[in-house]
Amino acid sequence: MKGRRAWVAIGICAVAVIAIIGLAVQLSGNVVYYRTVSEAVKIRSSQARFRLAGAVVPGTISETSTGVSFEVTDGKKTVTINHRGDPPQLFKPGAPVLCEGAWGAATASGVAAFNSDRIMIKHGEEYTPPKVKVTTTTSLPRG
Amino acid sequence: MSEKINNRDDRSALLPRAVGRVVDSLTLVSIGALTFFGLWASPADVVQGDAQRIMYLHVPAAWAAYVAFGITTLASLLWLWPRTRSAVWDRVAGASAEIGLIFTGLTLLLGSLWGRPVWGVWWAWDARLVSTAVLFFLYLGYLAIRAVPAEPIVRARRSAITAVIVFIDVPIVHFSVNWWRTLHQKATVFNPELNPEIHGVMALTLWIGVVAFTLLYVSLLNRRYQLAYLEEGLEETALDSAILQRSGGVK
Repeated sequence: MKGRRAWVAIGICAVAVIAIIGLAVQLSGNVVYYRTVSEAVKIRSSQARFRLAGAVVPGTISETSTGVSFEVTDGKKTVTINHRGDPPQLFKPGAPVLCEGAWGAATASGVAAFNSDRIMIKHGEEYTPPKVKVTTTTSLPRG
Repeated sequence: MSEKINNRDDRSALLPRAVGRVVDSLTLVSIGALTFFGLWASPADVVQGDAQRIMYLHVPAAWAAYVAFGITTLASLLWLWPRTRSAVWDRVAGASAEIGLIFTGLTLLLGSLWGRPVWGVWWAWDARLVSTAVLFFLYLGYLAIRAVPAEPIVRARRSAITAVIVFIDVPIVHFSVNWWRTLHQKATVFNPELNPEIHGVMALTLWIGVVAFTLLYVSLLNRRYQLAYLEEGLEETALDSAILQRSGGVK
């Protein structure tokens, strides 16, 4: 009787462990917090909301009537972002950003811009005091 | 049916009195050192500025939560193993989980305060943040299970099995930043390459933080254990007097 109960307990634990591992594996394909610029341009015809990650291209930031417009790049592809609202404090040329929004309608030139309504700064895990010479100025989001 | 809690080493305190005092003093000293290094001695980060100083509390709090839940799991396993079964491990498991829950809550709170100025948001539904919130609720559930009235032996077994199961989320939290794409940055110190990406005084400050929070954890665990022991004694006394009253022994 005691032995059987122990087996039931072990069985429940085993099922729980398998369920959690299975869930983790299943989720790993879906838990994509952001897409890189190269991945994003492949779904340019989609209306779905997602987060787009890239580094702000220096010299492309301009204020618009509703917010700010700029270009982001992942080193391979570059897209224009039209952002509604104020960008966050650490927003600047070269900053690694995540823009939340969706693709807009294609313009006359045939290339759609990304309409964002939220910008997050994706900073890296490196911390540097001001005096240390920084070797990389921008850290592109990896993933 | 001769299951009994082994009380042969039923300690009323986890640490000897003198050791407990030394730990308490070292905790205060290290927190003092952390305050000095965190606020004055360490420089502001080139990118994040002063907001980065929250790291000196956020990372040690998360570390202490890992340690606390690790000890809960270890104590639960020692309780489940018949040869080491003792009420001592049950108390350690419960006490450690409570402290771990507080540190997890602190990690979430401090992370939120750090995220607002740096990321631009208080909260993000990314894998690290969500798995940490899940961790908080899993251990809240564990403490709820501990609070369900039952025979001490039944309660201890139930709790020990639960503790072992819920611990699975700890490695998920730690490796979430490597397994999935997250807004949260990857590990700076305990990264897969074991090559800390942090400089001089900043690294020293972070280490002081880790030491301070570990000492704080030990100090709190020691106190909470004593309290758990006294609570059990009180329950027994209350039960004895209730029985005595029923049988007419006391007016």
